[in-house]
Amino acid sequence: MANAKYSVVVKNLNKSFKLPTEKSWGLKQAIFCRLRGIKGYQKQEVLKSISFKVKKGEFLGIVGRNGSGKSTLLKTLSKIYVPDSGNIKINGTIVPFIELGVGFNPELTGRENVYLNGALLGFSNKEMDEMYDEIVDFAELAPFMHQKLKNYSSGMQVRLAFSIAIRARGDILILDEVLAVGDAAFQEKCNKYFEDLKGKQTIILVTHDMENVRRFCDRAILIENGKIVKDDKPSKVADAYFKLFNE
Amino acid sequence: MLYNKDMKMPEVFTRKNRILLNELTKTDFKLRYQGSVLGYLWALIRPMLLFGILYLVFAKFLRFGDEIPFYPVYLLTGTVLWSFFTECTNQGIQSLIIRSGLMRKIYFPKWIIVLSATTTALINLGINLLVVVIFALASGVSFSLSWLLVPILVLELYLLSIGLALFLGSINVKYRDIGSIWEVLLQALFYAVPIIYPLSLVVSYNEFAAKILMLNPIAQVIQDIRFSLITPETITGWGIIENIFLKFIPILITIIILAVGILVFKKKSKYFAEEI
Repeated sequence: MANAKYSVVVKNLNKSFKLPTEKSWGLKQAIFCRLRGIKGYQKQEVLKSISFKVKKGEFLGIVGRNGSGKSTLLKTLSKIYVPDSGNIKINGTIVPFIELGVGFNPELTGRENVYLNGALLGFSNKEMDEMYDEIVDFAELAPFMHQKLKNYSSGMQVRLAFSIAIRARGDILILDEVLAVGDAAFQEKCNKYFEDLKGKQTIILVTHDMENVRRFCDRAILIENGKIVKDDKPSKVADAYFKLFNE
Repeated sequence: MLYNKDMKMPEVFTRKNRILLNELTKTDFKLRYQGSVLGYLWALIRPMLLFGILYLVFAKFLRFGDEIPFYPVYLLTGTVLWSFFTECTNQGIQSLIIRSGLMRKIYFPKWIIVLSATTTALINLGINLLVVVIFALASGVSFSLSWLLVPILVLELYLLSIGLALFLGSINVKYRDIGSIWEVLLQALFYAVPIIYPLSLVVSYNEFAAKILMLNPIAQVIQDIRFSLITPETITGWGIIENIFLKFIPILITIIILAVGILVFKKKSKYFAEEI
């Protein structure tokens, strides 16, 4: 491939949402709006001609205020949203974690949930068999895997979900604000793991924690009002981020 | 990998999609009767209870099927197939709402949701048809080669249900009224299909009305299954509709509904994650 050097190439990406103005959804409102000639929604542009590249093995941080468009960007990269215009090129498989434990069902056992979560990420039962022990080991939940998830503590649930996230073998890992899980010991373990991953795997991380940006990222992007305002070294972007709030 | 290239991807049942379909169906199946004492037996009990009530009211009190041989088996076949049709469409429509959290968090082809929900209904139908066969044999029906036609007819009904579920489900994502409207429509449709009353009754009353009824693909499938499973004396659309073109209207309707369902779903499903 021509862009094999890059894992992700984004060019002039635009995304807007139609936000409904009427109070509730429904056929009645739709017909009323049609009759009155009202559009019934407001267009809000969330991403405005975003362009950036992520090199293979790069650890990219994306930072910005609440509502600046970070999560929308991640969701568009993960194909959950369809872009209005622009181009996204992905070389390799994406393993997105917009939220931990997607598809987790409280009525299923821990083990069943791991396989279901794996299937959602595109892994077959056989592939999951190979990863399963590692996931359980990392989560330190071996004695509980045959219990229903609803009997797990919330910390245990997140630990399991997080272990799937980092043990899933994909080319590009996308994480949205999911670093701070578990107790101090588990945190430390995760941090070590991330430092090990540096340079080996392409990771895109959205976070508000500048400590993490400085510690893990090779590069960072600051997004403000749907535009990239800084694309630089982590420490510089972190400074720019704090400046936003002091203005 | 470009987005637009991805959309045109010819293989629908890729390995990844099959894995997910399999896993979601398994989960649906496991969770459907979670926490109930009789558990999976409900899949059997529900249509049997419906049959029991209809049998009491229409066969015993109103004496509907007195002159029809095997009327109870007739009735059972009808209710089992009708239950399948309602379960298939209702679950198909609701599944998209139930799985909305999933769609907002991860990308996967959305039709897998509808297909996994309807597959569960299909499995239930398989079990129920087994009961029908046992019931039929016990009532004195004997095996014939025409039984082999039943799976093909079930497939036709399944495709019709999927078409409807895809079409209605994709509109229901934005306009939740559709689910409720459909439930009312189903009630009306129930009486337009010869399930409780024998078609012969309609024919003797007004043959034209019977012909109109038989243009409905659900009626066509139910009568055809009765014909091939129970007795060739069953009146079918093929028998009473003379016009060669009109004979194929039910199949044409099925194909059109399926095609429209797939096209509308394909167009709308891109934006499910934002609209739901």
